[in-house]
Amino acid sequence: MAFLEIKNVKKRYGTADVLKGIDIAVEAGAFLVLVGPSGCGKSTLLNMIAGLDAISEGEVRINGARVNELHPSKRDIAMVFQSYALYPNMTVAENIAFGLEMRGVPKAERERAVAEVGKTLQIEHLLKRKPSQLSGGQRQRVAMGRALVRQPQVFLFDEPLSNLDAKLRVEMRTEIKRLHQAMKTTMVYVTHDQIEAMTLATEIAVMNAGEIQQLGTPQEIYNRPNNIFVAGFMGSPSMNMMAATLEDGAGGPAVSLATANGHALRLPLGPAAKALAGYGKRQVILGLRPEAITDPNGADRSGNSIARADCLVEVVEPAGSDTFVVTRLADKEVIARMRADADVRPGQLAPFAFAMDKAVLFDPETGKRIG
Amino acid sequence: MAASVATAAVGTARFWRVLIYTTLIVFAVMYLLPLWVMVVTSFKTLDEVHDGHMLQLPQNFTTEAWSSAWGTACIGLTCEGISGYFWNSIKMAVPAVAIATMFGALNGYVLTKWRFPGHKWIFGLMLFGCFIPFQVVLVPMAQVLGRLGIANSTAGLVLVHVVYGLGFSTLFFRNYYEAFPNELVRAAMIDGAGFFRIFWRILLPSSGPIIVVTVIFLFTNIWNDFLFGASFAAGGSAPMTVALNNLVSSSTGVKEYNVHMAAAMIAALPTLLVYVVAGRYFLRGLMAGAVKG
Repeated sequence: MAFLEIKNVKKRYGTADVLKGIDIAVEAGAFLVLVGPSGCGKSTLLNMIAGLDAISEGEVRINGARVNELHPSKRDIAMVFQSYALYPNMTVAENIAFGLEMRGVPKAERERAVAEVGKTLQIEHLLKRKPSQLSGGQRQRVAMGRALVRQPQVFLFDEPLSNLDAKLRVEMRTEIKRLHQAMKTTMVYVTHDQIEAMTLATEIAVMNAGEIQQLGTPQEIYNRPNNIFVAGFMGSPSMNMMAATLEDGAGGPAVSLATANGHALRLPLGPAAKALAGYGKRQVILGLRPEAITDPNGADRSGNSIARADCLVEVVEPAGSDTFVVTRLADKEVIARMRADADVRPGQLAPFAFAMDKAVLFDPETGKRIG
Repeated sequence: MAASVATAAVGTARFWRVLIYTTLIVFAVMYLLPLWVMVVTSFKTLDEVHDGHMLQLPQNFTTEAWSSAWGTACIGLTCEGISGYFWNSIKMAVPAVAIATMFGALNGYVLTKWRFPGHKWIFGLMLFGCFIPFQVVLVPMAQVLGRLGIANSTAGLVLVHVVYGLGFSTLFFRNYYEAFPNELVRAAMIDGAGFFRIFWRILLPSSGPIIVVTVIFLFTNIWNDFLFGASFAAGGSAPMTVALNNLVSSSTGVKEYNVHMAAAMIAALPTLLVYVVAGRYFLRGLMAGAVKG
C-alpha cells in the first residue's frame, strides 16, 4: 500500500470544479512535485492534503489512515508556505518551537530540538532575531526549520522558492534536495517552475485545469510525455512541435515535414519506432526537444537514428554553454541546441542533425502521444 | 540672465513660504486663544476676572479655583466639587473602552479569519449600527436598561457605550485583520494552535497600532459623551460632562468663571493625556509596521 494516497479527490466551489478527480499514490520517502500553470489546482490539492481546504469528494490517506476528517494539526504534517508565514512577534527560536509548544513538549526538550534544527540549517546565529531582521533566504531557512523540528510524516511545500532571487533559488533547491536525501521523509512540493520539478522530484504530477495530465518519474515525463500539454510545459526551451506526415517506408516508419523551400523533409524514425509501423499514412504532430536537434558534430554518435538535413538559420542565440539556433520547419519556429562553438550564421544554410530516436509523435486531434 | 531668473525663483519661493507660515500662525493663535483664556482665568481670583482684561496674565496667581472646582463647588444641591463625577466618568470610560476594544478585536478576527456564511451581512449590520444617531435609541435603550435593572447607574452607561462602541471597534479591527496574512493563521493551525491561541499569540501581539487607534477613538467619544450621560445617569452617578454642565449653568449666585474654567480643564485633561501618551505608541506602532516584516 502506498504511503500517501489521493483517491478520486474532487474540489468544488459552488458550481466550479476546481479539481476533477485526482488520483495519486506515492511510496514512503518519495518526493512528489505537483507542477502546472497557475490556476491548475495544485495549491488547492496541497491545502486539501494539509487539511486547510475541505475535500468535496474522495479520500486522502496518509500511512494507511484516512485523514479527511482530521484537523491539520492532527495529520502529522508540516507545511512551508510561499510567504514563509513566520510569526512576526516571535523570535526565530520561538517560531521554530511554536509547534512543539502547542503540543505540550517540555521547554528543555524544545530548546534541544531548536538547537539541533538550527545547526542542520546553519541558522544558529539567527535564533534570537525577529523575522523582520532576516533576509529572504534566511526567512526561508527558518520556515523550513519550523517544519523540520516537528519531524512529521509528510512535508508539504507551497512554492517555497518563488519569492527568492534566481541565484538563491538554485542554492535553496539543492539544499532541499540534500535535506530530502538525508531525511528520507515523504515530501509534497507545489511549484509552477518545471526546472524545480525536474531537479527535485522522484515523482512528478503535471496538472492542468484541475486534472492530472501525467504522473511519473521525471525521466518518463520528460522523454515520454502523455500529451502535447505535458510536452510543452516541461523543458526549457520547450519541445518543438511540428505538423508532419507519418508514413511507412523501406527503412521503417518515417515522418515528412514541409520546409521553407517547398520540398518535403523526410526523417526516418529509426529502429526504435517499430511500434509505429502499422499506422499507415496519417497526419501527426512531431515533437522534438531542442537538444535532439544539433549540429552534426555535436550529435550523440551512439544514437542509431540520426537524420541529417540542411536548414536555413534564422536567429543564433549564444547562451554561453550552448548556442540556440532558430530555424523554420513546417512553418513553425524550431529551436535547436548546438554546441557553443558550432559555426552557424543567420541567413545561411547549415547542417542540422535530428536525433529521431528521441522524437515523440502526437495525434493532432486528441493531443495524445502515439506509440 | 540665468542668475537673475534663479534669484527671482528664490524670491517667489520665499514669498510663498512667508505667506504660508503667516497664515498657519494666525490660525494657530485663533485656536489657541480660547485655551489661553481658560488657563489664565482659572488662575485668577473672581475679582480679577471681573475687573481685569480677559487675555491678561493673573496678577495674584492662585490655584483656589482649581481646588474649589475639584472639592467644594456646588453642583445642584451638593457642594463637593466635581471629583465624584470625575471618578464616575473614569469608572464608565475605562471598562467601556476595554470591553468594546476586546470584543471588537474578537469580532474582527472572526469576520476575517473564521468566515461563516453570512459574515458580510453581520458586518454590514454592525457598520449600520455606527450610523444610527444617538437620539433614535434613547427611548428603547431606556426601556432595556430599566428591565435589566441598571438604569441610572454607571454599569448601565458602560453597557450603552459598549454597544455603541462595538460597531466602530469591529470596523477598525476587521479592516486591520483583513490585511493580516491568512498564511500565518494557517501555519498556526498546522502548528496546533486553536481559535483563542491563534488570536492571543499570533494576531493580538501584532495589533498594537490598531488597539491604540481604537482606544483613542473610543475613549474620546465615551469621555466626551453628554447625551447618554444626561439621559441614563442623572444625579450621583452622572459622568463628568453632565456635572460640568450643571456646574456652569446653575442659576443661583455669582457666576464663578474661574471655577468653571478650572472644572472644564479638569474635564478635558484625560482625553488630552490619552493623546499624549498613546499617540507616541501609535507613532511607534506605525514605524514598526513600516519595516517590512
